[in-house]
Amino acid sequence: MARVALEDLTKRYAGGNLAVDRLNLDIADGEFVCLVGPSGCGKTTALRMIAGLEDISSGRVRIGGKVVNLLPPRDRDIALVFQSYALYPHMSVYDNMAFGLQLRKTPKAQIEKAVREAARILDLERFLDRKPGQLSGGQRQRVALGRAIVREPAAFLMDEPLSNLDAKLRVQTRAEIARLHQRLEATMIYVTHDQVEAMTMADRIAVINEGVLQQVGTPKDLYEQPANRFVAGFIGSPAMNFVEAEVTQDGGGSRLLAEGLEVVLADAQAARLRDRGLRSVTVGVRPEHLHPGALEGPGLRLSASIDVVEFLGNDELIHAASGGRDVVAIVDADVRLAVGDRVVLSAAPRHVYLFDPDRDMSLTVR
Amino acid sequence: MAVAEAITQPAVARTRRLASRLRPSHLALNVVLGLVAVFWLVPTVSLLAISLRDPSTYGVTGWWTVFTAPTQLTLKNYEQLFSTGLATGGVLDSVVTTALITVPATVLVTVISSLAAYSLVFGRWRGRTAVFLLVVGLLVVPVQVALIPVAQLYDAFGHLTGFNPFGTLPGVVIFHVAFGLPFGIFLMRNFYTGIPKDLLEAGRIDGAGEWTLFRRVVLPLGLPAAASLAIFQFIWVWNDLLVGLVFLGGNAHHTLTIYLYSFTRTLANNYWVIATGGIISIIVPLIIFFAFQRYFVRGVLAGAVK
Repeated sequence: MARVALEDLTKRYAGGNLAVDRLNLDIADGEFVCLVGPSGCGKTTALRMIAGLEDISSGRVRIGGKVVNLLPPRDRDIALVFQSYALYPHMSVYDNMAFGLQLRKTPKAQIEKAVREAARILDLERFLDRKPGQLSGGQRQRVALGRAIVREPAAFLMDEPLSNLDAKLRVQTRAEIARLHQRLEATMIYVTHDQVEAMTMADRIAVINEGVLQQVGTPKDLYEQPANRFVAGFIGSPAMNFVEAEVTQDGGGSRLLAEGLEVVLADAQAARLRDRGLRSVTVGVRPEHLHPGALEGPGLRLSASIDVVEFLGNDELIHAASGGRDVVAIVDADVRLAVGDRVVLSAAPRHVYLFDPDRDMSLTVR
Repeated sequence: MAVAEAITQPAVARTRRLASRLRPSHLALNVVLGLVAVFWLVPTVSLLAISLRDPSTYGVTGWWTVFTAPTQLTLKNYEQLFSTGLATGGVLDSVVTTALITVPATVLVTVISSLAAYSLVFGRWRGRTAVFLLVVGLLVVPVQVALIPVAQLYDAFGHLTGFNPFGTLPGVVIFHVAFGLPFGIFLMRNFYTGIPKDLLEAGRIDGAGEWTLFRRVVLPLGLPAAASLAIFQFIWVWNDLLVGLVFLGGNAHHTLTIYLYSFTRTLANNYWVIATGGIISIIVPLIIFFAFQRYFVRGVLAGAVK
């Protein structure tokens, strides 16, 4: 097990296209870090550079303190679980898992022990003699995990390992990987575009967009204190609502106004906006923080008419029109709301996020 | 549940297939196909029948009479052909000569094509596509055009090194290998492009070098293509007359085709020699075909990715 450090890691393709731009990330020994971002954001490229499958344009990758930039994949002591699983179709499950150890000239008895142990952990004992073609998607996925486990690598790299599984199996395997991480106490770097996977499994999440690292933090940090509008919109499901609003000063306080929206700011927040001299800001509020009914004092109030009500069981997902915008809210299913109703939705001051409209950086005072 | 399904499925499929074969439209189709197959086999069967009849009956009764009067069957022709043993110029000598040309030519083409295709598909060097297109371009060069230039080349090589490959078995083998490679590389390269790159990357991470990747991952997966190539190449070289005739000029040992060809000229009425020799020349490729047939496993890549 080892620490993995990325220092100004950059990938520039021959055409000048910058896939990864000066990525800095320090991953502690035994830590589970998710690289998350929309497709094409460079997260897989970054992972492939760590693995040694992609040349590094500039910057450094350190594994266990040692710079590995020029080492071939086999000498980096890492294991990679592919999105496609990439199992050797002509080998049995046993040989698929044993292949890496055989190439490293591990004694037969030791290989046998490692493979049996991995098969036991992953519940694959019955399938050791089968070929990958005779297995279901979930079983193949577990073989791919097993192939990584038996090697006892310094770090596990995973490239969207769950994206080919159906929804139910994905949730099961998610838990399985989390358990595996606890059990092996291994360093894991996990790439996904699904923020739910990242939130549920990671110790820390690194959000990447267009090759640039946006924010690194615990799932709770990212959810509660997004550094910019991109992170705010990417983390959390359904996504945060955004409204452009004008800053107005009246009497002692500041208010933010837009069609159908009013935000009364707390003093500290108002002072921050005054200091910046901003005339307009982007207001963000999460669907789960909007509640029907007016609220006195500081906070956000939004008047809207309901377009769609989606019943989820415990909750209802509301799509409402407010000043020509679609606003999403999750409300208690006990609150009887019907299509066409006009409602006021409110949020507490601590659930209101403010962003600089030009640079999209967070202006929220905590 | 899934296991039970997997077990019963083939049985169900079998019954269904049988039922569909017996449907009137399919029945008609099968009858037509059967007739075509019989029609196709007539020349070969006639050749076999002639080779198994006494030479004196040739031109007296038709070969098809063996079906009504099997007593005329005899191994006399074969005994007579084989009676010369391994003497130079005999039929067995020409079989050995042909094998000495065909086996190396086939092995070399299959091995070199597999390696070249690996580099063209999975290698990381510039100009791979250009080289491949050049190879494809070579496919259109007719053998006949190259006969004289290659002979001159051999001659020049002889002056330079003291070994002129013209008229020797290696000379013929080299010629066949050179002309087999473009198609071989073309075939193997197109097959290898279907192997997911992820598999090789997985291998690299597992610790495999290029040679191990080729031997343990790519080659086993490319076996169906390599087997097809080996069969094609074997049959082409085995049946070749022109190259052997030109490049073995002056050599006492002949290929089987040259042996048969010489009989068509001098003993046009001794049709039994051609028939018997023809059957001998058919048998070897047939054995090769059935030996390699088991490598034509469909769907070898199933379960690799997704």
